Amino acid sequence: MTAAAQLPGVAVERSLAQDLGLRVGDTLRLGPTPDSLRMHAVVAAVYEPAADPSTITRRERHLRLHLPALARLLGAPDRVDRFGVALDSGVTPARAAALLNRAAFGFRAYPSAQIASESSETFLVVSRFHRAIAVITTAAGAVFLLCIMLLKVEERRLDAAVMRFVGVRRRTIFAALLIEAAAIAVLGSLVGVAFAYVAGAATNAYYRRFFDTTLTFSLVTPGIVAFGVALSLALGLGAGAIAAWRLVRTRPLVLWGRG
Amino acid sequence: MTGLGAGWRNLRRHPLRSALSIAGIAVASAMLLDMVLLSGGIERSFERLLLGRGFQIRISPKGTLPFDTEATLSNADRVVAALRADPDVAQAGGMLGASLYARTRDSLATLFGYGVDPAAQSLYTLLRGRDLTAGDTTGILLSEPAARAIHAALGDTVRIAGRLDPQMAHAGVNRPLAVRGIVRWLYDYRGQRSVGLTLLLMQRITDPAGGAAGGAAEARASAIVVRVRDGASVPAVAARLRARFPRLEVNSVAQLVEEFRGRLTYFRQLAYILGAISLLVAVLLIGTLLTITVNERLGEIATLRAIGVSRAHVVRQVLGEGATLTLLGGALGVLLGVVTAHYLDGILTSFPGLPAAISFFVPEPHALARAGIALVLAGSLAGLYPAWLAAAAPIAATLRAEAP
Repeated sequence: MTAAAQLPGVAVERSLAQDLGLRVGDTLRLGPTPDSLRMHAVVAAVYEPAADPSTITRRERHLRLHLPALARLLGAPDRVDRFGVALDSGVTPARAAALLNRAAFGFRAYPSAQIASESSETFLVVSRFHRAIAVITTAAGAVFLLCIMLLKVEERRLDAAVMRFVGVRRRTIFAALLIEAAAIAVLGSLVGVAFAYVAGAATNAYYRRFFDTTLTFSLVTPGIVAFGVALSLALGLGAGAIAAWRLVRTRPLVLWGRG
Repeated sequence: MTGLGAGWRNLRRHPLRSALSIAGIAVASAMLLDMVLLSGGIERSFERLLLGRGFQIRISPKGTLPFDTEATLSNADRVVAALRADPDVAQAGGMLGASLYARTRDSLATLFGYGVDPAAQSLYTLLRGRDLTAGDTTGILLSEPAARAIHAALGDTVRIAGRLDPQMAHAGVNRPLAVRGIVRWLYDYRGQRSVGLTLLLMQRITDPAGGAAGGAAEARASAIVVRVRDGASVPAVAARLRARFPRLEVNSVAQLVEEFRGRLTYFRQLAYILGAISLLVAVLLIGTLLTITVNERLGEIATLRAIGVSRAHVVRQVLGEGATLTLLGGALGVLLGVVTAHYLDGILTSFPGLPAAISFFVPEPHALARAGIALVLAGSLAGLYPAWLAAAAPIAATLRAEAP
């Protein structure tokens, strides 16, 4: 058996291996502080960690050791930060955690669901922030759309006047303007969806490279597309109806500019 | 009539469309303002927090930031003594953070304990009572949430436990301590139960080797703070200390802010992108409205030109209309922006573990001025094309086309 084979093996995170130029088989000196690098270990594996949003901004670098090797390195045998407990079927995690906590001294038991909920709190905050920003941008977009639709329909004053002069009914003109508004809203929202896909792909490409992760940052779901198109259609129809109603109520001569 | 006066008169001709445009510009301006505040607000807020007690340099274990990990500096007393002997250092003090436990009637409450050097501390401000003194090994400072959690008030005696051994169901240290003061910990998140002891006492209570049992506790510290003497250059002193203590992490506040800035890149970039989109929306709205208005008024503009009104006057009128729209929308946008910034700040400051004193949206005069200048420039830019359209309209052809 070679000397290297007797050394404890460590698994090194891919980004750390890249930073330090490590490859499988290389030997490392490890220690709990910079001035106590006393333990020799051999790189047994290089691994890609599961993408975790909570760590991407911290730029931490990890390596994994077997628990006894880590305990020896830290000089703290038989100590752990935390451990998991598998329950018999029929025992609820909340009840088991409550029982353990009543008997516990110096540790606290949590059901996994609670840990998941608490550790996702950061993302809930980010999600709430994104939703609030989305409400503001939707309000800005809605006003913009209303304004544009109003101007677009008002551009048709002369056409509406001519139609009224040749005997086209108000209801027909109203319906024609409304259909035009709906068509513009749907076409605009489809262009918007295409733009969202492109922008989302660019966002993902940029942040995946920036944070060196496989996480997805922007996701255009069918639900979001449906919401966007429906909102755009509703706003377009609403604005078109208001503008068309104002137009058909106006006397043809006024529309023609001679009233 | 001034350009703004003419602009106001023209806007009143179409109240609904003008109102909608102003509303759109107001929402876009509010978003722009919020994003300008967000783009640098948290850094300024963090910097103010770090410099709040006047210490410009932090020293922590190599490869870590203060209180970012549980790593500690060993022989911290020697480092502090060496720092105090430095001619450019006015003050230096260590601090140690670790979990402590307080005995209540029927259980233990988990607290976060800070060990501080009362003469050189950057962690708290005293609210009530009195401060700890150097060498005080019987006193404790509580935050309001900690006082509530353990039902303690000024002058009470609380029992603090340390070095718990869950296997033996035993606390290695039990200390009765008198509550000297109620303090506000500058870096605590909302509701954090924190207590403060002198550094020496904290080292004894948490020493894994059992220093409290009789021997001297290891002189550990989570970080050391340094105040540079007046007139000395902080970056130069930091660089010198870094060279002198190569196995320690020496950071000036500016470097910590830069590190923090790196962690918040996402928010800064989001602010830039949304700010740019807000400006684009404002430009499109103003440009579209003015272009349609000019097209509608081409006959009127040609008549004015025919009776001798100069091109410059026509251009001023169109630009004035754009400026009026921008000013009205921008003024409304500032009010809306302040309200939405407060709301968004409420969301972001609920990040778990974020110091309660941090704010993401910090109103700064130069940030507000930057947003205002950007909006005015955008408004002017949006009016250029319609103004050119109005100035370039051929008089005779337009009058013939508009004739009854």
